[in-house]
Amino acid sequence: MSAEENPAAEPAPVIDVQGDGRWMSQHNRFVQECKDAEPDVLFVGDSMVQLMQQHEVWRELFSPLHALNFGVSGDTTCNVLWRLQNGELDNIRPKVVVLWVGTNNHEHTADQVAGGILAIAQLLLSRLPKAKIIVLGLLPRGEFPNPLREKNAAVNNLLRASLPRLGPVQFIDVGGNFVHSDGTISSRDMFDFLHLSAGAYRTMSTTLHELLLQLLEETPQERRASLV
Amino acid sequence: MSADSNPAASPSPCQDIQGDGRWMTLHNRFVSDSKGKEPDVLFVGDSLVQLLHEFEVWRKLFSPLHALNFGVSGDATQHVLWRLINGELDYISPKVVVVWVGTNNHGNTPEQICGGIMAIVSVIHQKLPHAHTLVLGLLPRGKSPNPLRERNASVNALVQAEVASLSHVSFLDVDPGFIHSDGSILHQDMYDYLHLTQQAYQKVCQPLYERIKSLLDKQAP
Repeated sequence: MSAEENPAAEPAPVIDVQGDGRWMSQHNRFVQECKDAEPDVLFVGDSMVQLMQQHEVWRELFSPLHALNFGVSGDTTCNVLWRLQNGELDNIRPKVVVLWVGTNNHEHTADQVAGGILAIAQLLLSRLPKAKIIVLGLLPRGEFPNPLREKNAAVNNLLRASLPRLGPVQFIDVGGNFVHSDGTISSRDMFDFLHLSAGAYRTMSTTLHELLLQLLEETPQERRASLV
Repeated sequence: MSADSNPAASPSPCQDIQGDGRWMTLHNRFVSDSKGKEPDVLFVGDSLVQLLHEFEVWRKLFSPLHALNFGVSGDATQHVLWRLINGELDYISPKVVVVWVGTNNHGNTPEQICGGIMAIVSVIHQKLPHAHTLVLGLLPRGKSPNPLRERNASVNALVQAEVASLSHVSFLDVDPGFIHSDGSILHQDMYDYLHLTQQAYQKVCQPLYERIKSLLDKQAP
């Protein structure tokens, strides 16, 4: 599906309808961070990424890896694509990029969302030819079974099949344990049945952190004596 | 201003347009949670209330006060009003109710938003005649000066004036000075220029805690 056919792969900024220009302020801050920082790891996506930085686990596991967080609450694949094309990849050479976006693409089908995520992965690979990409699967959501869970699972299945063909891209599903045998999600894991609690972030971060360590070790650079 | 002419004071649930019914789920959970509990303090409002529950400061300061948290991200005054009318106050008798809502009332005037907040105050008083309601001021938002800061400041002035004559309500401005001399708000305080970091919650919550404690101490056991 080309960008012309897939609305989820069309870059688009968030228009300021509320009146305080917060989305653009955050984007501009990230562009400035690209000028000042030399991250080894870049996290980019929606609120799942942004909120991670508000918890202890970020300071403990990801800051030491020289990670930057370019998450923006509410972002769709279109918004992330726009941000990456408009400065958020300038002047930085992260070794690994972690991408987590897609759950807010309410106007799009599972096929379109997967296509949007693929488009972002392709952009990352073309701008950062030496980087490895980790794409996190969309989490289940809602307290009970509902169409968005099915949609997110469908997106994940499409990604699982198509991402590895792009190159050094891995798909990781961190949502495996959230749905209980009775089909419910606990508010202890997702306080609003969408966003993760501190405890749930800690659990999924352990897996991600181990993978990051592996990928960073594999990169032929000078020895990282200060790693963790 | 009657409820009919003020959309911010007209109770409405959030419609589930996304497809996972989360708003109603949260409301139902708050109602059922409240059946087993005897909180002394109830916090109700939008994301600034809801997210507070997810940080260490809640456990340290407010759990020991036997507090419940009925915050829902995105809620405007009319949504909180609907929730309070439809069960969230029916099974509990907190001594203090902390209300923090209004920043999401996009398209409403400051007068309308104040009307919405006062409608909430009124419902609480009807259902919990012995409770004291503490209304928190809306925080400034956005990285630089903008119309929403002015709107929120106007709401605060209006609410503060309205509650001055009521003995069962008080207003607390919890802004520790987020706006710097150049007019900017730092991302170290509001990571998205709206929501608070843990460090910012610490600054907001200490005076809030003190006020709640003194209200609890004044109430008859």
